[in-house]
Amino acid sequence: MSAPLQIYEPFKAGLPPLRRYWRSLWSRRTFIAEFSRSELREQHFDSLFGQLWLILNPLLLSGVYYLLIIIIGGTSDSTRYVHLTSALFLFYLIANSLTGGVKSITAGQRLILNTAFPRIMLPLSAVVIAVFKFLPTLVVFLLIRVIVGLPFTWQMLWAIPVLGIAILLALGLAITISCVNVYFRDISSFLPYLTRTTLYLSPILYEASALKPNIRALEVFNPLFPILDSWSRAVVHGQTPPTGSLLQALAWAIGIFIIGTYFFLSREREFAVRL
Amino acid sequence: MRGLGLTYTTSIDRRPTLKARVKSLGRGGKQTRVVRALDNVDLDVEYGQVLGVIGSNGAGKSTLMRVIAGILPPSQGRVEVYGSVSTLLALGVGFNPNMSGRDNVFLGGLAAGMSREEIEKNFAEIAAFSELGDAIEAPMRTYSSGMFARLAFSVAATVRPDILIVDEALSTGDAKFKEKSLNRIKELRSDDRALILVSHAMATLRDVCNDVAWIHKGKVIQRGEPNLVIDAYQEFLQVGKSAAIDEDV
Repeated sequence: MSAPLQIYEPFKAGLPPLRRYWRSLWSRRTFIAEFSRSELREQHFDSLFGQLWLILNPLLLSGVYYLLIIIIGGTSDSTRYVHLTSALFLFYLIANSLTGGVKSITAGQRLILNTAFPRIMLPLSAVVIAVFKFLPTLVVFLLIRVIVGLPFTWQMLWAIPVLGIAILLALGLAITISCVNVYFRDISSFLPYLTRTTLYLSPILYEASALKPNIRALEVFNPLFPILDSWSRAVVHGQTPPTGSLLQALAWAIGIFIIGTYFFLSREREFAVRL
Repeated sequence: MRGLGLTYTTSIDRRPTLKARVKSLGRGGKQTRVVRALDNVDLDVEYGQVLGVIGSNGAGKSTLMRVIAGILPPSQGRVEVYGSVSTLLALGVGFNPNMSGRDNVFLGGLAAGMSREEIEKNFAEIAAFSELGDAIEAPMRTYSSGMFARLAFSVAATVRPDILIVDEALSTGDAKFKEKSLNRIKELRSDDRALILVSHAMATLRDVCNDVAWIHKGKVIQRGEPNLVIDAYQEFLQVGKSAAIDEDV
């Protein structure tokens, strides 16, 4: 009989053996799939109206914001609406990862206290769920785009790397915030205000090019800004996003991912004590 | 078979619990309480042994089990585990009360590192053993504590790990199920498996175990022949707190 040896020793703040961690994570990938599926099923997204709500919710939101733009700004056109929906849908991918991720560790308490597994699976699953919720809205967006009659270009393919960066950022943020929430439980109540503020600070209700240069300079500190700007340029205007924006977005995403993951991995063995 | 089987050498486990945690970010000043849950515990369990763990509430039994299972990291010492541990302890399944018993069994199993096929293969047996019937498809928030325990035990006992830890899972079942699970535990006794039972049911432990460890305040007080240790423990319970044991060194 094969008897794998496992040794548990006290740890100092530092990373666990990464290769072994990765192997044990990879061998549990079905958990992530199954967890996302049952979570979605529990939220009734396997039913017709559940899925419809997935599309209806951001669609109604974009309608409300569009109305707001018309009332405040006076004029508007259909391209503006396409920009609004595309940016809003991508924003909700990241926001859903955050709201799902923030409680992923604390809600998984029972599992954590009784099973040894790589804890990072829980925020990871939250992001997978957010991506699954995002996919149908992408279809809706493309439909809107066809109806409005914007031309399709090859440059739109830039959306794929931009989406990749957005998912990496979402992952980094979810991992970070799930870990922070273990130590400060009130982060989860604070989160709605954080996402709402970011929503207004990001080029969603307006286009990045419409900002005054001095405000624009401050947006270096908003990780979502370059992503949403690049996304809109690619999928709405069919242009190649500026390399500077892409690099800035990538730097943010990688930075947050690495810092968050380091923080998480070096702390996760302690979670069982803190819950 | 490995001659060594299974060796743990845990020593002093300091466990700072943040019972009163920092509620507001601005307030600062953490309130911490240091609990020495396990203090220099040395335990060897070999394959073929059935170890009963006894001790009063808060003695550190469950903490010890979690350290063995790799859930809590020891803060001192070293744990060596040869073989797969069934880590589905008393509350192993049911981490999401809104999901059905079936989903929870699958998720618990997958998290513990089993493959889908393995769980599917075992699921019919789990469901049958638990005798939950249709309730297995109902959300777990609708379960009674007895049903909960039934499912948890069924999972832990069906998986057939090298090392099975049962942490008071039998306490809430009815008499019939208790007997059934006891028989299952007896079935599971074999030379290539180690069983660790945490329980307050002394008669059961006398019956099932071939080794008993008595833990008090994070220390192993006595270890050995079940009847001897249990007699000593019961005597201790009646005598009350003896000074020698209660001293915090």
